[in-house]
Amino acid sequence: MNRIEERMNYLKEQGKKAFITYITAGLPDMDSTKKILKAQFEAGVDAVELGIPFSDPVADGPVIQNASYKAIKNGVNLVKCFKMTEELRSECEVPLVFMLYYNTIVHYGIDNFAKECSRVGVDGLIVPDLPFEEQDLLREALKNAGDETILIQLVAPVSKERIPMLLEGARGFVYCVSSMGVTGQEAQFHKNVKEYLNSVKSVSNIPVMMGFGIRTPEDIKPFLDTIDGAIVGSHFINLMESCGYNENKAAEYVREFKAGIE
Amino acid sequence: MNSKAYYGEFGGQYVSESLMNTLSELDKAFEEAIRDESFIKDYEYYLKEYVGRENPLYFAERLSEKYGTKIYLKREDLNHTGAHKINNVIGQILLAKRMGKTKVIAETGAGQHGVATATGAALFNMKCKVYMGKEDIERQSLNVFRMKMLGAEVVEVTTGSATLKDATNEAIRTWAKEAEDTFYVIGSAVGPYPYPKMVKEFQRVISKEAKRQILEKEGRLPDAVVACCGGGSNSIGMFAEFIDDSEVKLVGVEAAGLGIETGKHASAMALGEPGVLHGMRSYLLQDNDGNVQLAHSISAGLDYPGIGPEHAYLRDTGRVEYVSITDRECMDALMELCKLEGIIPAIESAHALAYVFKMAEKMTKDNIIVMCLSGRGDKDVHTVAAYLEGKDMNK
Repeated sequence: MNRIEERMNYLKEQGKKAFITYITAGLPDMDSTKKILKAQFEAGVDAVELGIPFSDPVADGPVIQNASYKAIKNGVNLVKCFKMTEELRSECEVPLVFMLYYNTIVHYGIDNFAKECSRVGVDGLIVPDLPFEEQDLLREALKNAGDETILIQLVAPVSKERIPMLLEGARGFVYCVSSMGVTGQEAQFHKNVKEYLNSVKSVSNIPVMMGFGIRTPEDIKPFLDTIDGAIVGSHFINLMESCGYNENKAAEYVREFKAGIE
Repeated sequence: MNSKAYYGEFGGQYVSESLMNTLSELDKAFEEAIRDESFIKDYEYYLKEYVGRENPLYFAERLSEKYGTKIYLKREDLNHTGAHKINNVIGQILLAKRMGKTKVIAETGAGQHGVATATGAALFNMKCKVYMGKEDIERQSLNVFRMKMLGAEVVEVTTGSATLKDATNEAIRTWAKEAEDTFYVIGSAVGPYPYPKMVKEFQRVISKEAKRQILEKEGRLPDAVVACCGGGSNSIGMFAEFIDDSEVKLVGVEAAGLGIETGKHASAMALGEPGVLHGMRSYLLQDNDGNVQLAHSISAGLDYPGIGPEHAYLRDTGRVEYVSITDRECMDALMELCKLEGIIPAIESAHALAYVFKMAEKMTKDNIIVMCLSGRGDKDVHTVAAYLEGKDMNK
């Protein structure tokens, strides 16, 4: 079974909320990234998103943009991320999601990309510039590669009548974007966020995760009766920047956040 | 897959989920508008009374004599604001108003589309923000000032390479945030569907006029139609009415910068690798990791790493031939047009002209070439001066 689905099922049985972090790969280097991922897993993170840097990250705010530019300067690319994942897998079973832009996949070759994900153990994909209507080729490739990697569906506050279509066949979890536009808007959620989260939850068979602009458990307190968990990206990167990418700090943040949503 | 959004394997709608409803609303509003007589009447009214259309198809007598073939110039440089960009802006802002939007945003490189959008926004009483890379703001200070005079806010973009590509990224980010009341006026034949189609339809007027004019003057269609290509808005407008006339050769001219072999160029077609950027799948300059590579051209308006998806399709089907012209070749052509015809062209348009001169070598005095003179060169005089000084210093 897919590691994300397995973990989500476990949390459901336990009646617990999920917590996911995002970090851009290769900051300050790939070894540190691996250590940070492992430390978080040991601290109880439910899944990690690994950002593969791209030159034109249009769905990201300034924090992840800068992280992405730095990583590119450090020479980080998809091939190195696959290699790191392969190494990580010999030591750690953390549910792992690659977050990347579609051109990175197209350039690598869609079929080969799907095979490599399956081979090294990438459990999920988030491709923010690949809306439902454009997913056919990638889905087909993932299916042909053994159906081991899930394409995570994103839902936006304005998705409305599109929601049933987006959820049909969705697996793992559904990623509810809490605000319009880009990542990292510091808890400035969309004005109708509550109503919107409810409308997704009411028709979803899989866990509903909330992301974009979340920093602390307090930010999501008002929504905890609806959502199944939260994703923290920009704030986590800021935190890592400020402590020099210390893996103990990463673990501490995970433990605190998890405790805050118990 | 929404097959309507594709030109062969190019085009599509590669945007975040937040924008998908916006795009389908836009598509619906656009298709209704272009079938609505009152909308078309308004659009044509402003093109005539405000932009100053129709503009001439000028027979360039001295050039024709020198190059031994008939050369006609479609004078988009005579439009209000000095380039073809205003045709599309009038169309899109009328559409924005019709959709009840109160704010417009735009990206700009050289500043021509920014100035055109600021102009349209002033005319139709809309709030306007123009995203422009820091590098371009420094290179094009005159246009920055014009936009401000017209009441627009110019937003400096410092991310990435701080040029057109990054200004476009920032405009897309803002659009995703503010689409509920904001209309994104894209200036080139790029972006997610329906933008490439919309820009083509609002630029089609170039070839509609040119076709009628050449039939009046010559009684037959031209042998070749030539236009420069960055994202490809003047060229798609110049080609539109001739695409079905298979006897007319169509040529798109990209910027070869310092030369394709140097890697410092803006020819998305030259290496022919498809990619996905700014909402579309098309040919795209990229490095070994699939990151977008910076384009280089002396012309800020052609300095773009991609090209409109319909152009990619027209290339693959062989209907249009795409060639490229270096900085040096285009500057020589630019000076020649100044001296022989008394017309200072935009550096962008001079690329097309340089290729017309090359083509003319293989033509006879009875052949006819129609070229789109997409803009005037007032904005470029500093660049030209710097280039000429540099050139002299190299001697």
